[in-house]
Amino acid sequence: MQRMDPIIAALTQRGAALLNWLRGWRAVFRFAAVAIVESLSPRTYNSATRSVVLKQIYFTAWQILPRFALFAALLSYVLIQIVVDTARDFGLADYALEAVIRLLVLEVLPLMTALFVALRSGAATGTEVVLMNIHNEILAIEASGVDPGRFEFIPRVIGGAISVLALTAVTSSLALLIAYFVVYGLQYWNLPDFARVVARIFDLPALAILWVKVLAFGLAVTVIPIAEALAAPKKLFFAPIAVLRGMVRLFFVLMLIEVLSLALKYI
Amino acid sequence: MERAPVRAPLIKNLEFKVGLLLVLTLTLAVAFIGYTLYARGVFERTQKLTLIADNADGVSIGMAIGFSGFPIGQVKRMALTDQGKVRIEMAIPVKDARWLRTSSVFTLEKSMVGAAKIKAFSTNLKDPLLADNAERPLYTGDAAQEIPELMAKVRDVLSNLQNLTDQQSSLSQTMVNLRTVSDRMAGRYGVVGGILGDDQNARKVIEAIDRANTLLASLNGVSLKVDTVLTKTDQRLHGQGGIMDETQKAVVQINAILTDARESLKKADAILKNTQGISSDIKGATTDIASLRAQVDDSLAKVNRMIDEINRKWPFSHKAEVKLP
Repeated sequence: MQRMDPIIAALTQRGAALLNWLRGWRAVFRFAAVAIVESLSPRTYNSATRSVVLKQIYFTAWQILPRFALFAALLSYVLIQIVVDTARDFGLADYALEAVIRLLVLEVLPLMTALFVALRSGAATGTEVVLMNIHNEILAIEASGVDPGRFEFIPRVIGGAISVLALTAVTSSLALLIAYFVVYGLQYWNLPDFARVVARIFDLPALAILWVKVLAFGLAVTVIPIAEALAAPKKLFFAPIAVLRGMVRLFFVLMLIEVLSLALKYI
Repeated sequence: MERAPVRAPLIKNLEFKVGLLLVLTLTLAVAFIGYTLYARGVFERTQKLTLIADNADGVSIGMAIGFSGFPIGQVKRMALTDQGKVRIEMAIPVKDARWLRTSSVFTLEKSMVGAAKIKAFSTNLKDPLLADNAERPLYTGDAAQEIPELMAKVRDVLSNLQNLTDQQSSLSQTMVNLRTVSDRMAGRYGVVGGILGDDQNARKVIEAIDRANTLLASLNGVSLKVDTVLTKTDQRLHGQGGIMDETQKAVVQINAILTDARESLKKADAILKNTQGISSDIKGATTDIASLRAQVDDSLAKVNRMIDEINRKWPFSHKAEVKLP
């Protein structure tokens, strides 16, 4: 029996880790479900929550909008140029525009926006919540008779989702414009042609998948860091671990959403 | 451990800025959806055209139909008929429907690379317009099927071409010769040099032509002289009192003389018969023979004179012979 002890200990450890992992996911999903329900209910929106939402949007989207739009435009331009040139080399210029729009508007730009917002605001939100939790601020809020979820976290989730939506909309529109001008040059006579390509790409399922995907990205970038932060033990040295875990899980979820959307579209 | 409450920094026009961003996002989203719907032809009036094909390989929903390289409609629905053919329903925008006539032909072309293409060909744009809900056959041309045959033919053609263009081929030899000839033609003696091969020959020809020219000039002189001679000869022969004239007279005389001679000979014949018949009467006959002899002598003398005269007058024959019977 003595000899079995290390094995049992190892198994116990593994089991505990797995349970922890599952618990983490459960916390994430529960919080996500609550956030979705709360954000849809009108009573969530009052002057206090609105102020948080506004600030969240301001910091997440407005502050970075010019620089991020410029960066996205540059990236789009380079990618479009590469795809169009390569397509021309292979004699497939007719398909370049479609390939470029599919690549950028449907896949790269939403994912890139989500990753950027996650790095910038997701990490910050996670850290803030971890610290609030450690400093018992959440308990204090609860003690004062205010639901911390509804007044602190849900508005951030709403703000984060709207920010991702806004940034994706702006960068995607820019990418569409750039794609048109790179492929057809600085003139507007090819608009019918362009419309035809757009019509071919954005059929109803594609539009629905795109919307759902962007919303899922928006939810993930705030829900996961907050859920992870709330689940962390109230010890200061756990704070970095909680933030790190939140970010890794977020990255994993973003990729999962992307792969799922691709699978839905092309399989 | 209480954390000092952190006041959010004062943000100017926070609500306005965020509101602006929200409106921008909303506008973009609505505009994009609107544009997609417009692009998909939701706001456009269309008419239906049904194409019947044997095989719908490569045809997909949303595929465009091209006319002169421009898309004028797209595939809306596809279904199999009871006969196992494919019904391809297309929506043609009413503004583009004028390119389709009752005589229009529709083809499905498949290429090696890229998607298949449905094309419409209207040869006569004066024919009546294609009606709404029209049904037309879709002809399929598969480029890939003809490729092996095409390759074999192309290979033949290429090898022929190679033979033709080979360094040793007769074509290239001919071209070389042609070039030499054209070089010579451009040279001093021009086309003649080109035809004869070199300058020396060409010079000879030109000299020959020069000589021929001189010869012709002298021949001209000779022919003038000959002309004069001939005129004179003509006068001698055929003129008044010329040779021909005299000869004619002589011939008339000869005729008369010969007639006389014949008469005399007839008489002689009769006399000879009498001689044979009447052998007894020799005395009476002897007198007749004497006169006959005189007549024959006379005729012969006349003939002799005439021959002499002809010989004197006839310049061409010095040995004239007149054979007597």
